[in-house]
Amino acid sequence: MATVEERVRAITTAKLGVEDMKLEDSFTADLGAESVDSIELVAMFEEEFGIEMDEDAALAVETVGDAITFIAKVCKEQGVEIEE
Amino acid sequence: MRLILIDSLRENRSNFYPLVLGRPIWELRCGFSSLEDKLIAKINPDEIAYFVPDYMATYYRTQVEKPVNDVTMLAGDDLLLVDPSVKAANFDPALAGGQAPPAEAGVKAKGPSEIGINEQGQVLYSRISEKDVGGLTAGSIDQFVASAKASLPNVKCELSTWEYTWDLVLANCEEIATEFAVAGRSGIEGNVEEPLAIRGSKKDVYVAPGAKVHPMVTLDAEHGPIYIDEGAEIHPFSRVEGPCYIGKNSLLLGAKCREGNSIGDFCRVGGEVEESIIHGYSNKYHDGFLGHSYVGEWVNLGALTTNSDLKNDYSNVSVMLDGRRSIDTGSTKVGSLIGDHAKTSIGTLLNTGSYVGAMALIMATGKPLPKHIPSFGWFIEGIVTKGFGKGRLYEAAKTAMSRRRCQWTQQTEAMWDAVFEITSPVRKAAIKKGRRRLSM
Repeated sequence: MATVEERVRAITTAKLGVEDMKLEDSFTADLGAESVDSIELVAMFEEEFGIEMDEDAALAVETVGDAITFIAKVCKEQGVEIEE
Repeated sequence: MRLILIDSLRENRSNFYPLVLGRPIWELRCGFSSLEDKLIAKINPDEIAYFVPDYMATYYRTQVEKPVNDVTMLAGDDLLLVDPSVKAANFDPALAGGQAPPAEAGVKAKGPSEIGINEQGQVLYSRISEKDVGGLTAGSIDQFVASAKASLPNVKCELSTWEYTWDLVLANCEEIATEFAVAGRSGIEGNVEEPLAIRGSKKDVYVAPGAKVHPMVTLDAEHGPIYIDEGAEIHPFSRVEGPCYIGKNSLLLGAKCREGNSIGDFCRVGGEVEESIIHGYSNKYHDGFLGHSYVGEWVNLGALTTNSDLKNDYSNVSVMLDGRRSIDTGSTKVGSLIGDHAKTSIGTLLNTGSYVGAMALIMATGKPLPKHIPSFGWFIEGIVTKGFGKGRLYEAAKTAMSRRRCQWTQQTEAMWDAVFEITSPVRKAAIKKGRRRLSM
């Protein structure tokens, strides 16, 4: 199974068309995500990991690294198995 | 005699979703007035009390001065309990001074106790004389009606009822004409600037005091009456065809207002509108077609929002009220049902028989939308999402209301929180479907 980081990177690339990204990259300022893209990214992460994320908390996440941490935390809370 | 309106017992009140998620059924409009106004006008009660679903009781108490969900109102007088889906025309009035009611075949508003039940066993009305009230259980409205049904004479009745929201839309033309005749008003009491063209009989046009009709307006009453209520304003190049009712303080902005429209108070309407009911406080400011639709309160339809109300094959229109099952409306003309606080972006295309939930937010895709957008759903990039959540929707609602000097209160928010929970299963299913589509 791919790690959370690999899966987050793959979805972000698929949605935003960005190949190279750093953990500290901001989805909006560095990767060019519009507000609509953020909503779709949340939906895609939920589908990929089989989780439900609180929309306010999810949309408050700014960077790729924070997204990985946040998703890993939600997976644990919701009993979803992941590779860290 | 006390009239008790009950909207808390119906299993099928969802037939009137999304319009009754934030209000009782009797507040729905048809013609000039609400269903409650029609019942009161026909029944002529001495006083009124309401029973609404528990989740909206606290909010509704802030909206009306009469008792809400107060079981003490189930004693001390002759009572007439009425399901608000029963059409007012079924009742004979309660006349003052012991006069006999007219010899119609309607339900007498006063008389010996009886419980009117339809073929499905649903109680449509309960007429209970004061002497019988004491023997009934009055712990709750449900208990009260059940005990009345069990102990008082039951009468099988087939009264005409409003079954779905589109029934109101389809009856609107006729209702406007009837209510115009009952109102008995005609002529120009407001301010009319020439040139004004009135087609048909001037007797079929009424412009109320404080209403303004700008120059270059056509009022076409050839096929039905036109009633422009107090404070309404009709801007130049508007064409208004009767039957039509324009509510208090509403604005028509160069609108092509075709026949059969009821526009409630404080609306702003432009573009082409046909045989539709706009409840009140809603904006359809710009061009775009709205036909055979019911639009709730605090709705904003973006420029060029257009709905279909007729299928290309002229077959009956179906509507999905619950997001799963299609209901055949039995009519070839049904447009959209649009819930309170819904908002559409520019260029939104609504399919024939669309359901747009309360608080839904739509961003157009260029294609006709799915026929069911759930309440609180954010329709973005062709799928239903959680969007930015209900908090942002509430912020937008507060702003919209404050612009009309109306308040979003704690009670308002608590009621919409309850609606959010009630509508959650349908919304979650739509969001899940959207996610799957994204990953394909």
